[in-house]
Amino acid sequence: MAETNHSDCYLELSSDPIRFEAVNQLTNVFFDDSNKDVFAVRSGGVMGVVVKGPKGTKPLNFRMEDRGTVLSIKFSLDHKILAVQRVSNSIELMNFSDETLDSEYSVSCKKNSNILGFVWSFLNELAIVTDHGIELYSVIPGKKSFKQLKTISATVQWFVWCPANKIAILASAHGSQLQPVAIKQGSINKLPKVETESGRMALERDVTLATLYSTPVLLILRHQSGPQTAEVHVHMLNGAGQAPVKSHVLKLGLSGRFAINLVDDLVLVHHQASRSSQLFDIALPGESDGSVKYHTPIAPAKSFKPTSIVLPGLVESEAHICELYSPNWVVFQPNIVIDAKLGCLWHISICLEELCDQIKDLGVCTQLALKRSDGKPVLLKLLLDTITQDKPPLEKLNESFNHINFVYRDWAENELQSTLASSPPSVPLPESKTNNQPRVFIDQNCMTEEIFQKINSEDDLTKTERILTSYLSSLAEYGISAQYNLNKLLVTTLAKQEKFTALQQLVQYGVISDSKPLAVFLLSLGNMHASSNQMALDMLARLDAKEEIQEVLLSEGQVLSALKIADDTAQPRKFLNAAKNADDSTLFHSVIYYFRNNPNFAAKLKQDDRVVSYINEYNVIFSDCDTDK
Amino acid sequence: MDNKKNIEIKNFFIFNSSYGAKENEEYKKILYYYPFGESTEIQIKNIGLVEGIVQFTETFRPSSYVSSLHTNKLRQLYFQPELNFWIVMTLSVPLVTKIKDSVSSNEYMEEDIQDNVYEAILSQAYYMYRLFWGTLEQTLVTGNADILRNRLDTFFNAYLKTVKLSNADILNLYGGIQYLPLDRQTFLKVQCFVNLLESSYGCIEEITFLYNEHVIWSGIEPNDMKVMYQYLIGMLLPANIETELQGGSMPRNSPFATLKRGRFITGPTNLKQAKTVGTVPRVYLFSNDCFKEHHLAVYRCLSATVCIFIKGDTNLTLELFKELDELINPRLSCVVAEIAEYCSKQIMPSITSGDTIPKFIYFNKINLAYKSTIHLDNKQTENSTCSKDSLKIMADMKDQNEFLGRAGESIVKTKNDYWVVGKNSNFREFYIVLQTKNANLIKISEEVKKLCDNELKGIFFHPF
Repeated sequence: MAETNHSDCYLELSSDPIRFEAVNQLTNVFFDDSNKDVFAVRSGGVMGVVVKGPKGTKPLNFRMEDRGTVLSIKFSLDHKILAVQRVSNSIELMNFSDETLDSEYSVSCKKNSNILGFVWSFLNELAIVTDHGIELYSVIPGKKSFKQLKTISATVQWFVWCPANKIAILASAHGSQLQPVAIKQGSINKLPKVETESGRMALERDVTLATLYSTPVLLILRHQSGPQTAEVHVHMLNGAGQAPVKSHVLKLGLSGRFAINLVDDLVLVHHQASRSSQLFDIALPGESDGSVKYHTPIAPAKSFKPTSIVLPGLVESEAHICELYSPNWVVFQPNIVIDAKLGCLWHISICLEELCDQIKDLGVCTQLALKRSDGKPVLLKLLLDTITQDKPPLEKLNESFNHINFVYRDWAENELQSTLASSPPSVPLPESKTNNQPRVFIDQNCMTEEIFQKINSEDDLTKTERILTSYLSSLAEYGISAQYNLNKLLVTTLAKQEKFTALQQLVQYGVISDSKPLAVFLLSLGNMHASSNQMALDMLARLDAKEEIQEVLLSEGQVLSALKIADDTAQPRKFLNAAKNADDSTLFHSVIYYFRNNPNFAAKLKQDDRVVSYINEYNVIFSDCDTDK
Repeated sequence: MDNKKNIEIKNFFIFNSSYGAKENEEYKKILYYYPFGESTEIQIKNIGLVEGIVQFTETFRPSSYVSSLHTNKLRQLYFQPELNFWIVMTLSVPLVTKIKDSVSSNEYMEEDIQDNVYEAILSQAYYMYRLFWGTLEQTLVTGNADILRNRLDTFFNAYLKTVKLSNADILNLYGGIQYLPLDRQTFLKVQCFVNLLESSYGCIEEITFLYNEHVIWSGIEPNDMKVMYQYLIGMLLPANIETELQGGSMPRNSPFATLKRGRFITGPTNLKQAKTVGTVPRVYLFSNDCFKEHHLAVYRCLSATVCIFIKGDTNLTLELFKELDELINPRLSCVVAEIAEYCSKQIMPSITSGDTIPKFIYFNKINLAYKSTIHLDNKQTENSTCSKDSLKIMADMKDQNEFLGRAGESIVKTKNDYWVVGKNSNFREFYIVLQTKNANLIKISEEVKKLCDNELKGIFFHPF
């Protein structure tokens, strides 16, 4: 197999699928997408039922009597009651514990109604969907009884259930009427109808209910007649009263049979004829007509990476390469693919790095990665790779930084608000904190550690300088002040290139923010260029750091100037020492004279033993003209 | 009635004292001589006189050569830019002819010529030449004396016409640069634009960005920028704005102006019709004591001027200019729009306060930035808000600055109740002119302190 052909695939099936007994004459397979359980029912249950839940749960094994063909089988949410539908007007219930089934009791729906299906909506709450509506029952396993909680009537031809949001779509008039229904604990609410073009029909398999970016969504695959290609219409259930609003259209550019999955808030549309899948992100910008955004695939359509499973052979087990996009595939939300003939359940995952390779545009990649759960390392690597290129695309990097800092700014604002809100010592809200944290969060520390420290800056100082400037510019754009480490890095980068003119302009225009450590650092560069001394002093003046300015002036021998800005806390000894070292007796005189005649210092001068030596020295120098009176 | 004769250039010549050492070959020393009509005999005589003065005075002060010679009617200034090369400028001292009782008497205004100011004009002339042709020595190395004579002829014949003598003052001493005050964000936009341009073309060495007559970003060293700035503000841009206006272009503040495309003002000025790259001046920059030759492509869009210094060995093609235009135009117009927006928000409300604007000149020796509320424009006209005397006092004070050390202050009171205060600190100079009747030193000091607190925010300035 040519591995290279598949290196550009960005879709992957889980390498260790959940394996179950394949469908054959004796075995029927069912999937319950509430619990994500796969049921393999042999000979109607007599030969055993094997239930495999998600990874990490123990498979269940039990037998049940064969009382006819099983139409549907589902455990309650806590796996304590098994519901089996064999006939069109009743559901049989069995209490389940220790891998054995207990006595049976059954729930019948209203007369003249046909059961279309049932779901466990809450713990011990069973919703039966019939062609006349929904009946909601509360099951009391201890008493082997049940009680009707609520019914609603509606004409239903088929329905789709979303276990995550507890929302069902009831379809009538061949799918041209779509009625969303929210099932809550003990009650059922009809939501506003889905507004579709009148008379436009839809098949059950073309309607998908799921969640995108925390909002319940309804996706309807719309096949077009003639030369037009198919589209997916995305209705977000976020209008008033959860009203569905058609907000996005995904343009497929193909026609034929499709299946939809959702992975990490991306919409994945599989196309069987071309054996490839297209990927859409409704969060990315698209053409808009004011109410609806039109999206094209974010990357070229690709197939899954090849996958294989181990099958027992005659002599030894052998690898079997799985057929991709097989006609036996059935998909479930959000990201499940089942091949019943093969007995495999896979989870789809997206290889973000490969996906970004396909997209190429750094701005799009950044937006995409920022919203993916595993986006951070990928995005950082992408940035680093882009920057280490020979000629990094500055504009694209700037765009990328802007996306990153947009998230950063939002986070900072939220953080500020929550600290303001909880300014009196109140109960910390760990939950809201975690909610605040964006999926991918890259702050200045992260940029410094993961990007700027990893660029070999000695190699190409100009490049580092430009990229830093670009990042700082983006920070400024979003009103985030730059931290000391970034400022220092920029100063160092410029100083190493001896670009003091540039440095000065950056300080002048406030690009490099003032801080005492930075001022000290600039002072240390003083021997390289006179401008850094000026910048340092200006910076200290802006910070109103009188003491530091004094030190600088003293070290430059400007004793009197230092004395002028000194306040009452000044230490005479420091000034006397500096004056003495200046070897200028007039200066020495001035300093002593100043302290002696200032009532704040006159007393101090006498108390401090360490000052005595200076006074003695003074008296020696000026012994002729006694001014001490 | 009084009759005034202004200051004039009597002659201006360049010679090399090591040439024509033999008798009758003295004419070889002459590299350039103005006025043109002067006989060789007189030229040789004048050069000989200068050589004599220089040699004679050297005896008394070998450490530095004589810089000027004062006579009643003339002032001669000497400048030795390179070893053995001398540039000499002779000025006629302004003359006032007074007629009293039908007897005319001449009074020469010797005080009107301040040596340091005109020395600055002299050296400026040399630096401007050097910007375009490199050092004198260099032409001799790569060519010969005749080529040098030709170049000097071409350059100075044109240059001397543009020299403004009568309103020269302390600003000539600085040769300073005016920077545009801008917020961090807008400045960073400019910076990113510059970086993009530089990183897109390896042949672009440096970039300088101006808005109207103010610098926002300069990639070149202040000493080069100083000359470059004089060239742009004094010669290139005014000439260009004139042609722009002649072309019937719209007024600068018209809303339609934003539609206007930018264009190169050196090189192919009309890219659509251009068949060749046109004339792109070569300039020599002197950063870190070494020459670097560059092509200077200047691009103008709205009020912004972008100077692009392209490596001297680059083969300039029309294609390159077209690419640059494609890259620059859309981005630059966005940047300019933001600068314009920022500037329009900054219109000073100070005039409404009723106070007269304080008169001061600020100069930073490190980046050569200056600000003056005394000069209403930088065209060296008579447009100044204070008396000429005050400006002269400032220029004189500046000469004494070195005696003040790192920080110091001098205060002068004139007969007509003007107070001129000069302060220097932290590599900066600050001159203030106040007119207060019956003031005393304490009152003036207080006012100066107030002014400093207001005008010198955000920098360290020594307390006095």
